Amino acid sequence: MKAPFSEYLNSLMPGLKKLVELLGQEFSYVSVLSTDSKGLTVGISRHSKSVGNKTMTTERGTVVRVYRDGLYSEYALDRFDPQNPEAAAKEISETLNAQLEVLKANSCRIYETGPLPDEPLELFVEKETGVLPEEADLPGLIALLSEISEKGLALSENVLDCITRAQSTHICKLFLTKNRCLRQSYVYSEGSVALVVGRDGQNKVGYKSVSALGGPEIFPGLADKLEPAAKNAELMLDSERIVPGEYDIIATPGIAGLIAHEAFGHGVEMDMFVKGRALGADYIGKRVGSDLVTMHEGALCAENVTSYAFDDEGTLAGDVVEIDRGILKAGICDALAALRLGTVPTGNGKRENFEHKVYTRMTNTVFDTGTDSLEDMIASVKYGYLLEGVESGMEDPKHWGIQCIIQMGHEIKDGRLTGKVVSPVIMTGYVPDLLGNITMAGTFSEVEGSGGCGKGHKEWVKVSDGGPYLKTKARLG
Amino acid sequence: MDRYIDILKASGADAWEVFSTEVKNWEFYYIGHRLDQNRAKNVEHVRLCVYKLSEDGFMGMASAEIPPTETDANIRRTVDDLVYQAGLVKNKPYRLNVPKPFEPVKAREFDLREESDRFIKAMDSIHETATEYLNSYELFVSAVKRRLVNSEGVDVTENYLSSMIDLVVNARKDDHEIELYRLYHLGGCDREQLRLDIEELMRFGRDRLIAKPTPAIGSYPVVFSTDAALSIYSYFLANLEVSMVLRRMSSFELGKPVTVNTDGDKVTLKALRELPNSPSNFSCDPEGAPIRDAVLIDSGVPQQYVGGRMFSQYLGLDDTFIVSNWSVSGGSTPAEGLRSGKFLEIVEFSDFQVDGLTGDIFGEIRLGYFHDGEGNVTPVSGGSISGNMKDNLAHMRMSRETRRYASAEIPKVTRLENITVSGVDAC
Repeated sequence: MKAPFSEYLNSLMPGLKKLVELLGQEFSYVSVLSTDSKGLTVGISRHSKSVGNKTMTTERGTVVRVYRDGLYSEYALDRFDPQNPEAAAKEISETLNAQLEVLKANSCRIYETGPLPDEPLELFVEKETGVLPEEADLPGLIALLSEISEKGLALSENVLDCITRAQSTHICKLFLTKNRCLRQSYVYSEGSVALVVGRDGQNKVGYKSVSALGGPEIFPGLADKLEPAAKNAELMLDSERIVPGEYDIIATPGIAGLIAHEAFGHGVEMDMFVKGRALGADYIGKRVGSDLVTMHEGALCAENVTSYAFDDEGTLAGDVVEIDRGILKAGICDALAALRLGTVPTGNGKRENFEHKVYTRMTNTVFDTGTDSLEDMIASVKYGYLLEGVESGMEDPKHWGIQCIIQMGHEIKDGRLTGKVVSPVIMTGYVPDLLGNITMAGTFSEVEGSGGCGKGHKEWVKVSDGGPYLKTKARLG
Repeated sequence: MDRYIDILKASGADAWEVFSTEVKNWEFYYIGHRLDQNRAKNVEHVRLCVYKLSEDGFMGMASAEIPPTETDANIRRTVDDLVYQAGLVKNKPYRLNVPKPFEPVKAREFDLREESDRFIKAMDSIHETATEYLNSYELFVSAVKRRLVNSEGVDVTENYLSSMIDLVVNARKDDHEIELYRLYHLGGCDREQLRLDIEELMRFGRDRLIAKPTPAIGSYPVVFSTDAALSIYSYFLANLEVSMVLRRMSSFELGKPVTVNTDGDKVTLKALRELPNSPSNFSCDPEGAPIRDAVLIDSGVPQQYVGGRMFSQYLGLDDTFIVSNWSVSGGSTPAEGLRSGKFLEIVEFSDFQVDGLTGDIFGEIRLGYFHDGEGNVTPVSGGSISGNMKDNLAHMRMSRETRRYASAEIPKVTRLENITVSGVDAC
């Protein structure tokens, strides 16, 4: 079925068009983004079970962007009355003018930017989904998650809790300017199983997830995640600490995705180029990885949690080849950064929600596959680790450092997995070294989207990332 | 608010809560000192929670966020759905908070225009040089009104100011430029404290420019003297959480020391209603329980658990609350006394973390000062540290002096003895 576009947003449209017209009398560019995204969340654990409608991306509200005399300003509101757009226009104008008075009193200088183009465009997209979160079989979903949780709790006396979670969101967005009217509707879902185990005062968590562009029909797949989550949790309980040093590593697809995201995902967000905060600006056309490294970024390059039709500035979704056989080719860009850099936007202007500013943000960030089998990759390692399980990562576009917190490493000795596990593992290094040392890439690729991404320590958005098994060298601690 | 309450009262729910948060906010984004964008918002978030008792003795909960533009008819439909959904969920019953006497926190008067003006002036007045300067910053000033009403008679309103600065500082020498990042959470503008914090950051920037690769020194004492240390003390707070205690994920027991055979300083951790310029000075927690000053850990011995009412009641506790502000008392030694012998003082991390559940410690080093014990001090960068809190509890040392960050006040300097330093260069 197609995910139906919001009737509520359709009902706002005439009023919002009038608002654009009214503000157009005072400002030379006006755009409106209105959102109406509904969700479903079910969480089950040993002592607590809950149902709700809020997810990371549920929202309903409107943000207005205006431009005058080289300056862009925005106003976010959630009580827009389509019968009285004049009231909203007055509120917006008065507040933004009051801000300008304060800025003027402080002799504030403007970072002057040109007007955004506004070529005519109409788009209406309703993407396919199996089920809508609004129409999910809630008793069935609660029963499914409860059954998985209870099975997990019964697995061993070390299990302290088995937390299952399912979230599904029906995104609807409307973007309007004087000449543009874009509407989109799609559903994405994500679920997880987290098995918390403890022994002798030591706790570990085994975690597995599912995510997809689609509805709650993906959640039965969670049942298959319990066993690997439990296995990893028990392995980590028996794990040792790693001896710090540089090792040959094989990154599982999840870790490959984390590397893609932290290395040249954040590293080529071009709003950072505007501020002189990214080394990538000086490396376009230069080698940053081995010949085996080709990396794509864009809402069109995978089907997952952030595969939209247009971004939050009304730019159509894209597929950017950031690195082609080791050569850095291009960055990703929101519309205002593109204006300032004299380039074109790539469909990566995203907001945490309508209340937040647009930044250049990732969507799907993916390494291309290679030709090597996992068996050959393991066989090629004299001494190293197969790294599995994403905890977190941190970008450093200015200096090309990377920090990845990884759940566990499986020891490889003389081309064989020994069964010994180290946990946890912190991987750090210099990004071009990490990518430059990639000597093998697998044939199987996987994209995951169960996490969120911040810019610095805020502005959380959905992203997905992935790739094949990759062999490289890294510093582990 | 009244329309939500009327609908909930008529819904057949056995208990209910309404949380409302109204936010008026001004934002200013700068590249250098030039204005990139100005923004404002005026929004309200309303969340309804519905509780339903079942015939077999369980209690279910379902919640929904309601857009302020929603019609009464749709809210009624949503509440009916919540009553049905709550009936599908089976939790052990517990009671919502009941009204208890409390002294309201005295909020200072504030005005978005005036507060924004103070922040703009404060940032304009930061002393920069040709080699240390502000790359970019974002100012957020929010006036917030938070209200909770529940079916047991709780009705609490809090008005407060919450501000944030996202800041990037650059330092440059010839063609080599580095950056340092901070995200400050504040009540209102404290110009003098901002000046001190940013001057310190610029000093770190100068040192990062000349930093050498961190040596691979293995197990080494590490000193923390910036906001990363908050994560160390958050580990203690996390292990007092009723949700951790009930699920046997915490080993902290009331009346029993968190570690034995200690030769380090013993932690004294307090919950506080108010902390100067904190954005979290509240009379009651988000579930309506009054917040009070309380000693949670006294000289290394847990005295009281904290957290929400559900898990508290499951543990048979009725005087808990969710902590907003907290403090850790200073230790026995002056800060300079902890900077002795061999140690690595780390002042900048990519993202320092102490996992409250596992105790694992991680962080990539962006700037540290390597003291070799023979009087030589070298700024270093790169590599990482790792360890576990459980291996450090017995020997942890805290400075006598304390320092305030947002909603917490902690020892100015903290020293952990059992940390592994994974360096870049062989020692």
